[in-house]
Amino acid sequence: MEELVHHILFIGQGIFFTLHLLVGGLAIGMILGTILSVLRYNKIAVPVIGGFISILRGTPLILQLSLVYFTLPSLVGVRVSVLCAGILAFGFNSSAYIAEILRSGIESLSKGQFEAAKTLEIPPYYMWRDIILPQIIRNIWPSLVNEIIAVLKETALIGTISGMDIMRMAQILGAEQFTYFIPLCIAGAYYYLLTLLIEYFSKKFEKREFYAKN
Amino acid sequence: MLKIKGLSKTFCGIKVLDRINLDIEKASIVGLAGSSGSGKSTLLRLIQRLEIPDSGSMECDVRTGFMFQDFQLFPHMTILKNITYAPKIHKNKDHSAKASNLLKTLGIASKSHSYPSQLSGGQKQRAALARSLLMEPDILLCDEPTSGLDVATILDVVALLKSVRNMGVTMLIASHDLDFLTKISDRIVLLKKGEVIVDVALESIKDPIDYLKAFY
Repeated sequence: MEELVHHILFIGQGIFFTLHLLVGGLAIGMILGTILSVLRYNKIAVPVIGGFISILRGTPLILQLSLVYFTLPSLVGVRVSVLCAGILAFGFNSSAYIAEILRSGIESLSKGQFEAAKTLEIPPYYMWRDIILPQIIRNIWPSLVNEIIAVLKETALIGTISGMDIMRMAQILGAEQFTYFIPLCIAGAYYYLLTLLIEYFSKKFEKREFYAKN
Repeated sequence: MLKIKGLSKTFCGIKVLDRINLDIEKASIVGLAGSSGSGKSTLLRLIQRLEIPDSGSMECDVRTGFMFQDFQLFPHMTILKNITYAPKIHKNKDHSAKASNLLKTLGIASKSHSYPSQLSGGQKQRAALARSLLMEPDILLCDEPTSGLDVATILDVVALLKSVRNMGVTMLIASHDLDFLTKISDRIVLLKKGEVIVDVALESIKDPIDYLKAFY
């Protein structure tokens, strides 16, 4: 029993690293994804943004992570930490998916909402901030929560560049103990618990913010 | 106050409006009649600049307001916020006081803090009207304001729009409902296949519904 508690606490040390990656990656993903989806309505920017999203969705995340971590120093002379490389790679990758989710939300919205804003002479910045995005977020909320959970699970790739997250801690413990079953089960339990927490808070938020207005 | 000359619009090769000429005078109510697909809504949308004409010109030196057929209230905002949001952005003075007066006049003051989904069709209609009026338009363009409303509510809408005219607002109302249009308009413009085929002052004809039906 004492050994199990030790294992749980040892692997638990990786939670903060995982959470840093998740929060940082999602912050970049949300901001960049929103910018990308809004710019998609600019005819000149469409091919560039379409290409950017297509490449990010069409190449493996582990490749993008390796590119940021291993090639940035030689390409631009900037050496980034493992955490920073992870946040950048997960953020850029997630932005492509979030931009697509937002696009589906924008397209599901009635064209009349844009026209109503136009007839009321609401400037584009306010229209997007107060009229369009709040409605879109309500429509895409379940897909957005799926993306948050997907990013959480993808953070496990950080171990490939020696990030000390939950998964990496489990692998270290497994290598020390010559048995992987218990450490991997504990890591799985941590990820599952975090997923349940995300689902719980998202449902609470959904009830508070959206139900009264439907 | 609004002069339209030779306005034409084509969608996917189909001519929806063909060289429309129209003059609208101040403080009048002009009814835009015609069957579905005659180009009524397109004409309103061109005047509001929601569509770009293929040819023709339009002189409009006044502010226009638009009431959509399906209201297009913002579903995530309360009625009060729906109607005060734009004036607030434009920093219009006294918009809060004007909004509460308007909601009282239109009989939906008790619904100020409700969301659009909690309102009936008639109440949404009033909220949409309040939102347009608070922008203080000189011309109000109404697209099928009675669509989907019951007879009693239509009579309310007639009274309501007449009271709007008394506020000095000119109106151009598109509707396929001749009975409604003849109750409210000073003048009827009948569109058929994108062309104006009748433009008549209602006081000059005896039985307007029969007179107009002959042109359908």
